[in-house]
Amino acid sequence: MKKLRHLVEYAALRPLLALIDALSLSAAEKLATVLADIYFAAASRRRGITCDNVRRSGITSDEVEIRRIAKDSFRHFACLVIDSLKSDQYFSPETWRERIELDVAPETLELLEKPDQGLMLISGHLGNWEIAAQVISFLKPVVGITRDMNNPYVDKLMKDRKPRHNFKLTPKHDADMGRLLTTLKEGNVLALLIDQHARDRGMMIDFFGSPAATHTSHAMLHLITKIPMCFGYCVKTGPMRFKFKALPPVTFERTGKRDDDVRAILEELTRDLEEAIRAYPEQYLWAHRRWRQAK
Amino acid sequence: MTRPEILETLRNTMKDSSPEPIEWDTLTEETSIGSLGFDSLSILDLIYDVQQAFEIDFEAEALVNIKTVGELADFLEETLKA
Repeated sequence: MKKLRHLVEYAALRPLLALIDALSLSAAEKLATVLADIYFAAASRRRGITCDNVRRSGITSDEVEIRRIAKDSFRHFACLVIDSLKSDQYFSPETWRERIELDVAPETLELLEKPDQGLMLISGHLGNWEIAAQVISFLKPVVGITRDMNNPYVDKLMKDRKPRHNFKLTPKHDADMGRLLTTLKEGNVLALLIDQHARDRGMMIDFFGSPAATHTSHAMLHLITKIPMCFGYCVKTGPMRFKFKALPPVTFERTGKRDDDVRAILEELTRDLEEAIRAYPEQYLWAHRRWRQAK
Repeated sequence: MTRPEILETLRNTMKDSSPEPIEWDTLTEETSIGSLGFDSLSILDLIYDVQQAFEIDFEAEALVNIKTVGELADFLEETLKA
């Protein structure tokens, strides 16, 4: 039964992808916006979660503004899919700088330009993290960790389509620490998202004032390898135009106490993410249940 | 540090880092580190705790091929001597 459902989903996706490929960027974005608006109107539970999350963040208490941010977030993520699917037509090693505004701290840029220097780039579900990885991969090879989609047919279809340049994906189930350590040692960028729900394996870190289960692995990797780690994100500024911002590497006073050091790192990265979200609230994935209880 | 001291420090460190309840008294040099409840996340905790307990800095990827407690003790013995 599950296999049949997966095949039906796959069969429905193929013509949709063909349609997106056939449309211009502008027409595809218009279609995505219409579909996002229909979903926002119809999916009452997801809409409720999204509005609740915006409200809980305290970014605004105005209910009209909360709804606007939530609706724009739906639209943004529909267009994110379009941008990710069509980006290979717009970005190449020769032309990518025409469409990307770089706002990278000098210390971080220096690390990115050193060929053998590993770097951990931490981001969140803000803007377009796929484009961020593609942009960085023009400067230095990037390895990202991804969770396989539940539908294996759709998973393969999407992976086969995605433009990669120097951007490799490692499935989460296959991301053993030895491989990640080697990745960093070989001078690659390891790109990780900080705002995924960590279930019972995380540390509770305040996100907009409320505790959220946060993964500790990137902080631990930084502590044991001492490889620099910085926060960065890529926001949309226009049709297939983006701004990539990266902060200076994280610095903190090491205490030698594991949990205290991990907490200091995670709190700093979470503060950086909050600040970025405050600047671009419509481009954050509010539909994600970041504050759900750890099981 | 003598070999028995290294093993004793290692046993105590592993005890603190492992998320699983293990019979630590039965630990031998042949014991596989994988059998002590360490997974891809808690192994990072172990590496950090070993660096702190032995007050040494080492490249974490040097541990990638280490499989047993004895091999880890060998590695620490050599690193401490260096």
